[in-house]
Amino acid sequence: MQNHDAGVSGILEALRTGRISRRQAFKALAAVGFGGALAPALSRLAAAEDALMGPGGIPLARPDKPVTLPLWEDPIKSGMEPETDGTFTVFNYADYIDKALVDEFGKQHKVKTQITTFDSMDQCITRLATHAVRADVTNITPDRLAQAVAGKLIKPVNPDYVPNLKKNVWPSLHSPFYDQESRYTVPYTVYTTGIGWRNDKVKEDIPNLSNPWSIFWNSQAYKGYVGVLDDSREALVLAMLYRGNYDINTEDPAAIDKALEDLKALIPICNPKVNITEYQTLPEGTSWLHQCWSGDLLGGVFSYMPEDTDPSVLSYWSAPIGKGPIQNDCWAISATTKKPVLAHMWLNYIVDNTVATDNFLNFNGYQPPMNSITPEQLVAQGRIPANLKTAVMTAADFGPGALQEMTLTPKGQALWQSAYAKFVSGA
Amino acid sequence: MREHSGIYPRWLWQAFALPGVVWLILLFLVPFYAVIGVAFGGVDPIFMIPVPAWNPLDWNAESVIRTLLGFLPGGDYWVVFLRTTVYVALALAICLLVGYPVAYYISRHARRTKSVLLALLVLPFWVSYLMRMLAWVNLFAPGGYVNDFLAWSHILPDPPDWLNGNPVSVILALVYGYIPYLILPLLAALDRIDKSLLEAARDLGASPSSAFLHVTLPLSMTGVLGASVIIALPMFGDYYTPNIISGSPTTSMLGNQIDLFFHGGPQPSIGASLTLILSLFLAVLMTYYMYSVARATREVRDE
Amino acid sequence: MSEAVIARPVRVPSRGFGRRLRDWIGNPWGKPRFLVLVTWVYVISSIAPVIIAVQFSFNDGRSQTAWQGFGGGRWYWGDPVNSVWHDPALQHALFQSLKLAGLDMLIATPLGVLLALGLARWRGRMANASNFLMLFPLVTPEIVMGVSLSLAFLNVFTFIEPSTTAQVLGHVTFSLSYVVVIVRGRLFSIGRQYEEAAADLGATPWETLRLVLLPLLMPAIFSSLMIVFAISIDDFVISQWLSCGADCDTIPIRIYSATRAAPLPAINALASIMVYFTLGAIGISYLVYRLMTRGERPKGGDATRGMVSQMGAFDV
Repeated sequence: MQNHDAGVSGILEALRTGRISRRQAFKALAAVGFGGALAPALSRLAAAEDALMGPGGIPLARPDKPVTLPLWEDPIKSGMEPETDGTFTVFNYADYIDKALVDEFGKQHKVKTQITTFDSMDQCITRLATHAVRADVTNITPDRLAQAVAGKLIKPVNPDYVPNLKKNVWPSLHSPFYDQESRYTVPYTVYTTGIGWRNDKVKEDIPNLSNPWSIFWNSQAYKGYVGVLDDSREALVLAMLYRGNYDINTEDPAAIDKALEDLKALIPICNPKVNITEYQTLPEGTSWLHQCWSGDLLGGVFSYMPEDTDPSVLSYWSAPIGKGPIQNDCWAISATTKKPVLAHMWLNYIVDNTVATDNFLNFNGYQPPMNSITPEQLVAQGRIPANLKTAVMTAADFGPGALQEMTLTPKGQALWQSAYAKFVSGA
Repeated sequence: MREHSGIYPRWLWQAFALPGVVWLILLFLVPFYAVIGVAFGGVDPIFMIPVPAWNPLDWNAESVIRTLLGFLPGGDYWVVFLRTTVYVALALAICLLVGYPVAYYISRHARRTKSVLLALLVLPFWVSYLMRMLAWVNLFAPGGYVNDFLAWSHILPDPPDWLNGNPVSVILALVYGYIPYLILPLLAALDRIDKSLLEAARDLGASPSSAFLHVTLPLSMTGVLGASVIIALPMFGDYYTPNIISGSPTTSMLGNQIDLFFHGGPQPSIGASLTLILSLFLAVLMTYYMYSVARATREVRDE
Repeated sequence: MSEAVIARPVRVPSRGFGRRLRDWIGNPWGKPRFLVLVTWVYVISSIAPVIIAVQFSFNDGRSQTAWQGFGGGRWYWGDPVNSVWHDPALQHALFQSLKLAGLDMLIATPLGVLLALGLARWRGRMANASNFLMLFPLVTPEIVMGVSLSLAFLNVFTFIEPSTTAQVLGHVTFSLSYVVVIVRGRLFSIGRQYEEAAADLGATPWETLRLVLLPLLMPAIFSSLMIVFAISIDDFVISQWLSCGADCDTIPIRIYSATRAAPLPAINALASIMVYFTLGAIGISYLVYRLMTRGERPKGGDATRGMVSQMGAFDV
C-alpha cells in the first residue's frame, strides 16, 4: 500500500511541478490502477485549465488565465491601531521611491524609516528567503508572486485598511489577473516596453512603419548607437514581436531559438549595446535608438535632459494592446514584519493620489495607475512634451487581452536564460 | 646558522601561522568547495536558490558535463572561450613588448632619473583600476582628446568610434589596465640579476646585444613567466573591462557569462560549473607558478 | 723629452644644437636610446589619462570629454545637487570605500605579519602546503573569488549576509597574500643575525621579538599597510559580489555604474578625491620609510628603490 501511495504522490508531485503533463499523469495513474479513484483530485488540478504549474502548486497566471492566490494565513483583523516606534523598512530597487515621501510617512506615523535596496528581483527574493533582510514592505513584480506566496514571503492584505485602492486606482487593477481580489498586493507603477529614439537623429517615421519593430533590423545607418534592453525576457521578446509571435510566455524551444537567431542577426546589422541605461543615454545623445521602458523615457525627460537639449527630441512608441508588453509592479507586505498594521497603512499611502503623483512627476518618472493621471493633463501641465503622450498609459491598456511577461516554469526559464546567454556571448 | 634556531620555541612559528592559515582555509578553500558543491548540486524548487551537494556521493554531474561539452567547438561557450583566450594572449604579448623594455631600462640603465621613473611607474599602480578605465573612456569617447587629435593631425581624418564594440579598444584597455602589475614584478626580477654575470660576459667578448640575448634574457625568464602569470590569470576572469569599454556582445568574455548565470535565474549550477572549469583550466598555469615560487622561496630560505 | 709628451689641453669647438642632437640619436650605443624613448612614452601615456580625468573633474560643464572652462569646485562642492559634497550617494560611496580599506588594513596587516613570520620560519610539509595555500589568492581571478565567497556566505556561513562585514572578510582574504609576500621579503633581507646577536646578549625570545625583530620589520609593515589600503580602495569585483545594495556601494562600484550610463564630471571628482588620498598616502609612506631606514641605506642608495623592491618583491 505504501508503495502505491509513494507512486501516486510521486506522479501528482511531478504533475504539480510541471515535469509531466496532465495526459501523462492520467496515463501513469491508470497504469497504477488509481485513475478512477483520484479523478476528483485531478479535476481540481484540471480546473486550472491546462495552466502551467508554478512552485508550491500555485498555477502560473496569465492575462487570460487569472489566478487567485491561496491564503497561507489569515489577514490581520480590521480596526487595529498602527504600531509606532522602531524602524519601518522599505525594500525596493535603488532610486525607485522618493526618500522624502518615505520620511513623510514615517513622520505621520511616528516611526523611523529606512530604505533597503536590491539590484534585481532575484536578489529581492533571495534576500527575503534567506532572511538577509528583514523588511516591512517590499516591492515585487507579479511574476514572482507564485514564488513569494508558496515560500510564505508575503502576508495577505486586509482590504479594509487600503480604501485608496478602490478609490484611486484603475478599475482594471482592482482584481488583477495575477492576484485576483488583490489578496496580497497593491500596484505601484505601470510601464510598457517599446521603442525610444531621438527624432533628430533617426529619420524614419517609426510609428507609421508597417512593422515598427523592424526598425532595429534596418538600422545600419545608426550602427553603434542602437541599444537593446539587458534583460533575458525583454530582448528575446523584441525578436518575437518583430516576427508577429505574440506568445511571449512561450516555452517552446523552437520559438525561443528563432527569436535568438533574429536577435543574433542584429549584431552584424547595428552592433547593439546591451544595457538598461537608456534613460540617460537617450537624453545625452550617446544612444539614438533603444528598446525602451516607458518609465525610463519619462524619467529621462524629468531628470536627465542636458541643459541645452529640448525634450521634444525624444520620441516613444509602444504597440497597441495585445501587441506589446505592458507590465506593472506592486507593493506587498513582508511576512517578517513586526508592524503589520503600519504596513497596511503604507499600502494605502502609496496609492494616495498626491503621494503617487509626486513620486511620479518629481522623482522616478514611472507612472502609477491612478485615475487622476491622464496623458492630456500631463501635456496641459507642461510636464511632458506633446509628442511623448505615447509614453503614458490609460486604464484601457490593461485587460485580459494585454500581453504581460509572466512567470515561466523552471524549465522555461532555463531555456530563455540559456538562449539569452548565447546572444550575449556574441557567438 | 641552523644551530641558532633554538632561540625561539619550536611551536612559535606554527602558532603564528595558525590564524592566517585557518582564515585562508575558511574563507578561501571552503568557498571554493562551495562552488564545487553548487556546480554538482541542485536548485531549491521555490526560490531558485542553489542547494549545494556537499557529499560527493550526492553529486549530480549533469550541469557540469553539459557545460564542459559547451566548450567544444560548436558548443555554447566555444566562441566566447576562444575570444577570451585570444584577447588575453594579445594583451599579454603587448604588455610584454612594452613592459619588458621599460623594466629593463629602469633596472639596468637609468641612473640619475631612476628614482623619478620608479615613482612615476608606481603611480598608476596606486590609482584605482576603474579610475584608469574611466580616464581611458573619457579620452577615447567620440568628443574626446584622442579623436580630436587624430582629426586635427590628419592621421585619421574620420576617426573611428572606439567605444562601440571595437575589440581593439578592449584589448588596449586590458593592456593599459594590467601592465603596471606586470612591470613591477618584472622590474624586481631584473633587479635581482647579478650584474657581475653581465660584466663577465662583456669581458669575455660578447657584444651588448649578445650579452643581453644570452645572459640577461634567460636569467629573466622565470621573472617574465611569473609576471605573465600574475596578469594573465586575473585577465581571464575579467568581465568589467569589456562592459565599460564596449557594451556590445561582440566583445564579451568568459567572465560575462559567469556573471550572467549568477545574477538571477534557475541555473546557478551552470555559473558554478563555468567557474569551476575556468579555475581548472587556469590551475595548470597556477600550479606551475606556485611551484616555481615555492621552490625559489625554499632556496632563498635555506640560505 | 717628457714635455713633448705632455698633452696640451685641447679646446673642443662648440657644436650647434642640431649637430649635438644628431650625435645623440646616432649614438653607437643604440639600444639605450630606444629604451629611453619607450620608457618615457610608456610612463607619460600611463599617467596622462589620469591627469586628464582629474582635469575634467574641474570642468565647468557636464561633459567629461569636451573642456568647457575651469569650473573650480563645481563638481566637488559647488553644484547643489550633483557634486560630491551634496550627493549623498557619492559621499556614502566614499565613506564606504574608506571604511573597508581601514578595516582591511587593521585586520589583514597583523594577520599577514604573523602568517609571514610563521611561514618563513616553519619547516616541514605542512609549511609547504600552507605556503601554497597562501599564494593561491594572488593568482585567482577575482570573479572566481567573488563567486566562491558569495556562495559560501549563502550556503555555508549563512549567519553572514552580503554586507559590509562580508566585504571586509573578502578584502582581508585577498590582501593577506600581499602582506605575507612583502614582509617575507623584508625578513629575508634582514636575515637572522640581529636576533642571534640579541639572544647571545641574553634576551628572552619575547624580548627578541618585541625589541629586535618587530622594529626591524617596521618598514615592511608600513609598506604593507599602504599596499593593503591601495588594493582595498581599488577592489571592484569582490565588493560588488558581496554588496548588500546601494548602502554597500564603494567608489569603484559607483564609477562602474556611472561609466556604463552617462556620467557627470562629479564621478571624475569622486575618483580624483581617491587619487589625492592615495597620493597623500604614498607621500607619507615614502617619508616614513626614509625615516625608518635611515641607518640602513648604503651610501648613495635610494629609499624609493628600496620601497619599490619591497613592493615588487612578491615574485620569483
